[in-house]
Amino acid sequence: MIRLLRIDDRLVHGQVALTWTPAVGAECLVVANDKVAKDDFLKMTMNLAKPANAKLLIKSIADTVTFLSDERSKPMKILVLVNSVQDAAALAGALPEIRSINFGGIRAREGARAISKAITVTDADVIVIRDLLARGIELEVRQVPTDELRSIETLL
Amino acid sequence: MLTSYILITLIAMFGHSEDFLGTTLLSRPLVLGPLVGLVLGDFDQGIVIGATLELIFMGNIKVGAAIPPDVITGGVLGTAFAIMSGKGPAVALALAVPISILAEMVASGLFVFRPVWNKRFDRYAAEGDYRGVERLHILSGLLKPLLMGVVTLLALLLGSEAVRTFVDTIPPWVHSGLQVAGNMLPALGFALLMNLMFNKEGAPYFFLGFILTSYLKLPMIAIGGLGVITALIVTRITHKEQPPAGTDSDFDDFDMDDNPPVMVKPKAALLTQGDIRSLFARSMALEANFNFETWQNTGFAYTMIPVLKRLYRTKEAMSRALKRHLQFFNTAPHGSTLIIGIAAAMEEQNAREPDFDEESINSVKTGLMGPLAGVFDSLFWGTIKVIAAGIGSSLALQGSVLGPLLFLLIFNVPHLILRYKLTFIGYETGTRFLQDLSKTNVMDKLKAGSSILGLMVVGAMPATLMSIRTPAMIGSSDSAVALQGVLDQIVPNVIPLALTFLVFYFVKRNVKATYLLLGLLLLGFLGSVLNVFA
Repeated sequence: MIRLLRIDDRLVHGQVALTWTPAVGAECLVVANDKVAKDDFLKMTMNLAKPANAKLLIKSIADTVTFLSDERSKPMKILVLVNSVQDAAALAGALPEIRSINFGGIRAREGARAISKAITVTDADVIVIRDLLARGIELEVRQVPTDELRSIETLL
Repeated sequence: MLTSYILITLIAMFGHSEDFLGTTLLSRPLVLGPLVGLVLGDFDQGIVIGATLELIFMGNIKVGAAIPPDVITGGVLGTAFAIMSGKGPAVALALAVPISILAEMVASGLFVFRPVWNKRFDRYAAEGDYRGVERLHILSGLLKPLLMGVVTLLALLLGSEAVRTFVDTIPPWVHSGLQVAGNMLPALGFALLMNLMFNKEGAPYFFLGFILTSYLKLPMIAIGGLGVITALIVTRITHKEQPPAGTDSDFDDFDMDDNPPVMVKPKAALLTQGDIRSLFARSMALEANFNFETWQNTGFAYTMIPVLKRLYRTKEAMSRALKRHLQFFNTAPHGSTLIIGIAAAMEEQNAREPDFDEESINSVKTGLMGPLAGVFDSLFWGTIKVIAAGIGSSLALQGSVLGPLLFLLIFNVPHLILRYKLTFIGYETGTRFLQDLSKTNVMDKLKAGSSILGLMVVGAMPATLMSIRTPAMIGSSDSAVALQGVLDQIVPNVIPLALTFLVFYFVKRNVKATYLLLGLLLLGFLGSVLNVFA
């Protein structure tokens, strides 16, 4: 089952390896990203960073949906990482199991405004976020598990 | 008195210069406490208070952009007020905890404010004005020590009398309650550390550490040594050579020739050894202008400037290079030089080959910064800092000046050697070093080994660094037996161990650290008043 779906544009890094993986007891990290899935260099770097006690899978969004829909993935404790609101929405759309999304880090970009220390959103992101909220999915902002949990609604 | 205030302010400003000093732990309470003690004429007390505060703030580490309470301001002021009012560590922590939480808000405000400069950095970059970039990076970096220096001085000038009067009104029973509560607080630090590393596979090593200290009374240094030996034995035996470190099957057909950004050192170098050494030196100031929009970007550009100056003679080329390195960047500072060295090698190749893809420099940087932060954060915060703090605090609690010294040496000798070497490894072997590494299981061994070592040291902590006992008696007045005596015969230090696990249980359930802190204070207080704990 999916223990956490996290939006983090650095995907696997310190906060994920050091704090989230143990906090949610993840045995398997799934990086769901079309670009990384095709890039051997990025895959190599992420394999170096993966936490010692977890398995790391790097898949396209479509393959991630297939994997997470498979009965065999149900007993695994899985932490899913995406790097954009759009990818998170695509997974949430295909997998009704996802009831909550963690916003970890989205860096400053052209046309994006900061809504918290580590999160910026564009107008396009906000439309997707409103849609996810309308579907009753919890959207919470935390960099590390011990941060105070804040709903994204209060920040927009 | 004013002289002391100014000296204490300078100590706080020195601590807040940590972002120029390469995160070398000079700003931790264990180091600044003794300095404050020295100024106030009570060096020994400074060492002990510093160690006490170090333990409480042990679980607070800086990972990514998650900013923990400001232990620099809190630690310096807490230590100063406690020594000036003639009270011990209990008062220091009662003051340091709230001060550090308040001071964190001021520091965060600065990190929010700093992106204001980003437009100016961009303008300098557009003009190829690298001196402007250097100047602004340093000036903005100096804001933190200056701002927090003002805060510290004001707090000392306005607060000292009030704190003294307030502390004098504390009745003795409250003071002893505070003392017991203070002795309990390290359980929170230990639990936060356990939260980073404790799991089923690691549990035996945690208890091994506990038993070695609690029953065999081994000092922390011995635990560190045994931990290293255990880690070496275990990783060599249980981890057989396997194909690529990745568990991903895609890795089997990992084809090196298909990787566009492979970097190998070109034959005739344009850069000198001195240039590469200056990359290492400048990387110490990587985080000086840390901000919440572009994080360490100006630090990266600042670090690269000696190389850029050597390679690019025209304004246009310099401008493009500065723009490249002013893009968002964030990684673990301790291992940052690996990426910096790789970037230098790529810049060199770019200067040599006109058709080099400049974009690839940033794609390598951004590809590496997250994963390498994962590697180095785990190694330095999860293991080396834990061992350094465990050994350092255990000596400092006994008033030994070796405590702070060993703390700095244990962390910084490996840190600085690795940081220096990685600059050259990055420059000379480029990304090939990482590719070779990913084909072996060295990383897996390193991670498994460091978690064993870390857990043994954390397991030893409740027994050596927490002193909570019970004065309770069992039985009727005539034949009453001291409960502690009975406990000591079965499991010595069982109370600190149980408390640590109790807090760990709540940490696992995502109870906020602030509540746990208050809960522990309350428990210690009640325990002291009801004569259950002492």
